[in-house]
Amino acid sequence: MKKKVLSILLAGTMVLSMTACGGSNSTSNDTAADTADSTAETATEEASTEEAATEEASTEEAATEETAADTTAAAGAIRLLNGKPEINDQLLELAELYKTETGNEVSIETIGGDTSAGDELKKMYQADNMPDIFVIEANQATTWDGMLADLAGEEWTDKTGFELVDANMGTIGFPYTVEATALGYNADVLKAAGVDPASLTSPAAWQEACETLDSKKDELGITAVFGWCAEPANLGWSSGTHVFGQYLDAGLKADDTTYIDMLNDGGKIDEDRMTKFAEFIGMMNKYSDPNLLVDGTYDNQVAGFKDGKYAFITQGNWCVTSPEDVSFEVGFAPYAFEDGINTIIAGPPSYWVAYKDGNVDAAKAFFNWCAGDSAQDILVNKAGLVSPFDDCQYEATNPFYKSMKSYIDAGNYSGWHTMLKKDGLQNETCQVFADYAKGTIADAAEFTDKISKVIAGYYNN
Amino acid sequence: MKTPSASKQVMSILFLIAGVALVVWSLAMDIMGSGVSYRGATLVLGAVGIIAGLYFYPTIKHHRTIINIIFLFPLLFAFAVTVIIPLVLGIGYSFTDWDGIRVKNAVGFANYTRMFTQASFLWSIFITFLFVVFNMILVNLVAFLLALLCTSRIKGLGFFRAAYFLPNLIGGIVLGYIWNFIFSNVVTELLNTQYSMLADTKTAFLAIIIVYIWQYAGYIMLIYITGLNTIPGDVLEASAIDGAKPLQTLFEIKIPMIAPTITICTFLTLTSAFKQFDVNLALTNGTGSVDILDNYLTNGTEMLALNIYNTAVIKNEYAFGEAKAVLFFIILACVSILQVRISNKKEVEL
Repeated sequence: MKKKVLSILLAGTMVLSMTACGGSNSTSNDTAADTADSTAETATEEASTEEAATEEASTEEAATEETAADTTAAAGAIRLLNGKPEINDQLLELAELYKTETGNEVSIETIGGDTSAGDELKKMYQADNMPDIFVIEANQATTWDGMLADLAGEEWTDKTGFELVDANMGTIGFPYTVEATALGYNADVLKAAGVDPASLTSPAAWQEACETLDSKKDELGITAVFGWCAEPANLGWSSGTHVFGQYLDAGLKADDTTYIDMLNDGGKIDEDRMTKFAEFIGMMNKYSDPNLLVDGTYDNQVAGFKDGKYAFITQGNWCVTSPEDVSFEVGFAPYAFEDGINTIIAGPPSYWVAYKDGNVDAAKAFFNWCAGDSAQDILVNKAGLVSPFDDCQYEATNPFYKSMKSYIDAGNYSGWHTMLKKDGLQNETCQVFADYAKGTIADAAEFTDKISKVIAGYYNN
Repeated sequence: MKTPSASKQVMSILFLIAGVALVVWSLAMDIMGSGVSYRGATLVLGAVGIIAGLYFYPTIKHHRTIINIIFLFPLLFAFAVTVIIPLVLGIGYSFTDWDGIRVKNAVGFANYTRMFTQASFLWSIFITFLFVVFNMILVNLVAFLLALLCTSRIKGLGFFRAAYFLPNLIGGIVLGYIWNFIFSNVVTELLNTQYSMLADTKTAFLAIIIVYIWQYAGYIMLIYITGLNTIPGDVLEASAIDGAKPLQTLFEIKIPMIAPTITICTFLTLTSAFKQFDVNLALTNGTGSVDILDNYLTNGTEMLALNIYNTAVIKNEYAFGEAKAVLFFIILACVSILQVRISNKKEVEL
């Protein structure tokens, strides 16, 4: 009897599970197809905030309705892919203001942190889910060759000299911020030590300044002259891209591409210039904080500078964004590894571009609006960006702004040509900086020899 | 069984035709790039139609086969979408100059010949093999010793087992960052060295091995414990009565008795060490310099999987990375086939 009941029960569950399987058979099909359609959507939703996600959904609906009805509105809902997670909230605010002012919608999707926007965009492209506006770095223009809209002749292009111009596609990049990198200094420390930052335009002046600062370390309360970190695994972008960029651009006019052209011509370097650059780096190594130099982190480096432990820091205006962060004046000094170098690197490290097959008209309208007063108010005053537009009336809150502006107004700024080097080169060169810092590379001549080998090997593998 | 009726046959054929038509139509829409929003729904309807048609098809001879296929369909579909299709596409891409966005040219075997002239890639292969050999021996040794400890009669056995197994539950990336901190802040104090172990290629390689053993030995230990527990008590008892010393018991009774477990563990450590990625990424990100044969390599600790990732994603050479991945696949496939062969043989012997 018991057995019979058990067997009936078992058979019952089996039948049930079979029908359940049969049912899920079709539904699994359903979901499979559905997910295929919306994979990219979920991927971006994960990164953006929920608010943005819902907004995106509604805009996408609107977008499909529009294409279905086949209307070509002058301006409609658009999507913007942002690569800077730190300004996500401010961009959402910007989008809201755009809606109240113009009635048009723009939805912000943010990719950042460890996922690069460029990588995510490739997935979006494969999934046919491209945003109308997205962020690129200058050397990625070739990747998107022929797929970006030409923005020449737009109103905003007259107000800035920082737009990205591509030989094949014309004016493609809208600059949304200007960033600068050089040796950031703590003005109070320099003043107390009697060093005039304006005089630091030759290797000899730098050497003298370093010796002065180093000898007065205790009375100035600093740990070391430089907060310079050559750790390669996590901070390779700093040494391999930004510091290396000084070799490419320091002392040149913003449109001078001499050394980046040489580099991109099969990885050639100017040995003489590189050796002088290496000597300067050697000086930085010598006067740097040994606890930071080889195995430090970005956080330690920036925290040390903010605490006044270093007179100089090898970062840019992004490392100190708010006046509350520091209790002293800051500014930029040039990497003067040759006599007379008096420029900092300044410009937009990345741009917003419009996707050709997207809603170009709406994107152009949004760019024009962004260059205007109300948008600049948010971007400059709330997001802490530095405006690339000449007629912007807002002073950036960034503590480095005053120094940046003085260089830009005097025309003493070089370009971000380091962004045009071959993809991934920074991961190779940063190791040479690290070895130099550690002492396994003994002197400037050996540094030049090793780095030229590494670069040539990378370009011609 | 009822005899197959003509009406049923007609119905099922109608279902089939409608299903195929719908599927073909929606696929064609997709290929032509039409923006019709309901093409997904028609594709699903078509698939359901085909399945229904097959299900209702009045045949006795093939009924069982059809039902089997229908029931296997979800699994096969998922397998094809996630494994088979990407594999075929990947091999295809490796013969092109795909940059992650577009394929411009087919380049034949250029990617394959190029990777063997790239010194950094050859170094990655070499260091991966070195890592595999070191790990295979050390992980098994440590795990076996831990297993012996955890099968002896010490107090707090449960605690030890759990403690040794816990590191395996932490993800490799998190583990890497934790150890990164330990190496640069704790080990430097203990050994009184100036720089973190990770700053020098040789010690960094050693560091990866240490972390990997720490992570993986607990898992392998569990398998050894199971193996040791399956040794019949009477064998051990008999040997004890015959006067075997503990070492003799270990080498002449225990180890021969768990030979199949050793094979399994060896291959587990072998394949997983080959695929090492996360700890490598989080600890050193492949950095480290090697001065070798007039080359100055900057990827001293970059193992194969990380090399492939960096080639594709960081250096933006997707097709080249794809070609390297195919080679990686071939190596792993060989190892796995070898593994299956050898473990089958062992089972026959037992």
